[in-house]
Amino acid sequence: MNASAKKKKWSDYVFWFILPALVVYTAFVIVPTLSSVYLSFTSWDGISTKINYIGFDNFIEIVKSPRVHNALKNTLIFAIVLVLLENIVALGLAVLMDNVRWFRNFFRSIFYFPVLMSGIIMGFIWMIILNYNFGVINQLLEMTGLGFLKADWLGDPDYALISIILSTVWKAAGYYMVIYLAGLQGIPQELNEAASIDGANRWQQFRHITFPLLAGATTVCIMLSMIGSLKIFDQIAVMTDGGPGFATETLTYIIYKVGFGELRQGFGTALAIVLFLLTLLISLIQMKVLRKREVQM
Amino acid sequence: MKKDIKLNDIIIFAVTLILAVIFAFPIFFNIMSAFKSNGEIMRDAIAFPKGFYLESFKYLLTETKYPEAMLNSTILTVCSIAVMILVIPMAAYAIERNSSKWTNGIFTYFLFGMMIPFQVYMIPLFKQLKMIGLFGTLTGPILVYISGSIGFGVLLFTSFLKGIPREIEESAEIDGCTRTGIFWKIVFPLLGPVTASMVVLQGLGIWNDFLMPMMVLPTGQAKTMIVELFYYVGEFSSRWDMIFAGTTMSLVPVLIAFLALQKYFVKGVSSGAIKG
Repeated sequence: MNASAKKKKWSDYVFWFILPALVVYTAFVIVPTLSSVYLSFTSWDGISTKINYIGFDNFIEIVKSPRVHNALKNTLIFAIVLVLLENIVALGLAVLMDNVRWFRNFFRSIFYFPVLMSGIIMGFIWMIILNYNFGVINQLLEMTGLGFLKADWLGDPDYALISIILSTVWKAAGYYMVIYLAGLQGIPQELNEAASIDGANRWQQFRHITFPLLAGATTVCIMLSMIGSLKIFDQIAVMTDGGPGFATETLTYIIYKVGFGELRQGFGTALAIVLFLLTLLISLIQMKVLRKREVQM
Repeated sequence: MKKDIKLNDIIIFAVTLILAVIFAFPIFFNIMSAFKSNGEIMRDAIAFPKGFYLESFKYLLTETKYPEAMLNSTILTVCSIAVMILVIPMAAYAIERNSSKWTNGIFTYFLFGMMIPFQVYMIPLFKQLKMIGLFGTLTGPILVYISGSIGFGVLLFTSFLKGIPREIEESAEIDGCTRTGIFWKIVFPLLGPVTASMVVLQGLGIWNDFLMPMMVLPTGQAKTMIVELFYYVGEFSSRWDMIFAGTTMSLVPVLIAFLALQKYFVKGVSSGAIKG
C-alpha cells in the first residue's frame, strides 16, 4: 500500500513535468504535420474557407510535372555533390588541424566562423563576390590575366547551381571538420607509429589506419550533411530566388514558391509530404547503418 | 630526420594558412565593405577602405526599421531560450527518471519530431497561427521555436541525465523535499554544460532564422534583422554599403559570443552529431 501511494505521487509529478513540452510539441509540430497530410489531398489556395478534396491529383501532378522533376533533380545534385565536397573539405581541414603545429585554435576558429553565419548573410556576401561587374572573383581573374574565364556566376544557368553549392561548402565545412577532428583525436598515436616503423608512408597510414577508424565520424557527417542539403533554403532565396529560370529550384524552394508565391497550398503540402518521406528514408537508412556499426564494434 | 619533420611542419602550416585566408576572406570582405562608401565598393571591391565611412550605419539606424528589427531579434532569441530552459529539462528529467511504458512512448513521440523538416508542416502551421490569433505577434514564433526544439532538446538532456547519480535526489526526497524543489535546486544546477550547449546552438539558430519570421511577423512593421536584410537586398539593391553595415551588425554579436563561449559551441556540435 505504501509503495502504491508513493508511485501515485511519482506519476503525478511526471505528468506535470512533461505536460508543457507535450502540449506545445503536439500543437505546433504534430497537428500541423497531420494537417499537411490532409491538405495534400486538397486544392486549397491558402485563403478561401472552402477546401476541396481532390484525391491523389496533387501526387499525380508531382509525378507528371517537369518543373517538379527539375526540382528533384536539383535536390539530388545538391545532395550528392554537396555531401561529397563538404566531407572531403571537412576531412582535409580536420587532418590539417590535427597536424598543424602553430596557432591550432586560431585556425580552427577561422574555419568554424562561416558556420555561425545565417544563410541570408552568407548568400549576400557571396552574391557580391560573384557579381559579374563588380565582384571580387571576376576582378581577380582580370588582374591575373585570366579574364577570359570571367562568367556571370549566378546569372548563367550553367554556373548558378554550382556557385551556390561551392559557397555552401564554404559555409558548412567547418561544422563537419569539428566532428572529424574529434574522431581523429580519438585515434591512438601508437597505431600510426607502429605502421611507420613497418615502412608505411603517410598516405598508406591514412588510407589503411586513420580513415577506417574514422568510420563513425564519417557516417555521422555524411548523414547530417545529406539531411542538411535537403533543407537548404536561405542562400537560394537571396542569391537566385530559384532562377535563372528554374535552374536552382530545389524541393524545399519549390514548396515555398508554390505555396506562397502561387497560392497553391494544397499542392505545396503534397510536395512537403514528398520531402518528409525523403527525410524519413534517409533517417531510417542512417539508423540501420549506425546500428550495424555498433554490432560490429 | 629532425630537419625532415621541420620541413613537413612548415608545409602543413603554409597550406593551412592559405586555406585560412580563403575561408576568412568573405567575412573580412564583409566587415571591410561596411566601412566603405557605395562608390568605393563598386569602383574597387578588393581595396581597403579610405577612412572610416560611417554614413551607412547612421542611415541604417536612423532612416530604416533596423533598430526595431534588432530589438525583435533579441526578444525572440532571449524569450524562446528562456522558455526552452524552463520546459525541456523538466520533461527530460521526468522521462529519464521514470522508465515506464508511458514515458518511453512519449520519448519516442518527441524524437519523431527531429525527423520532420520545418517545410513539411509550415503551410498548415501558418493557417493554425492565424486561427488562434497568434499570426503577426512575437508569441507565435516563440512558440514555434520552442516546439521545434523539443525533440532534440529532450534527447540531449536525457542522455546527459543518465550520467548523474540518483542518490542525492533520493536522500533529498526522504528529507521531505518536493519533486519540483529537488529538480530546480539539486538537479538543474548539475545540468550547466548541457544547458549551455543548448542555449548556444538554439540561440544561433533563432538569431539566424529567416523563413518562419518572414512569413509569420506582421507586414509593414519591422521583422527580424535577417528578414529586414533580405528585404534590403531587394529594395536597396544599389546601396550595398548599407547592407554590409547591416550584416556586420548582425554578425558581430555572434562572433563575440563564439569567442567567449567557444567550448560550448564545439560541444554543441558534437552533441548535435549524435542527434542525426
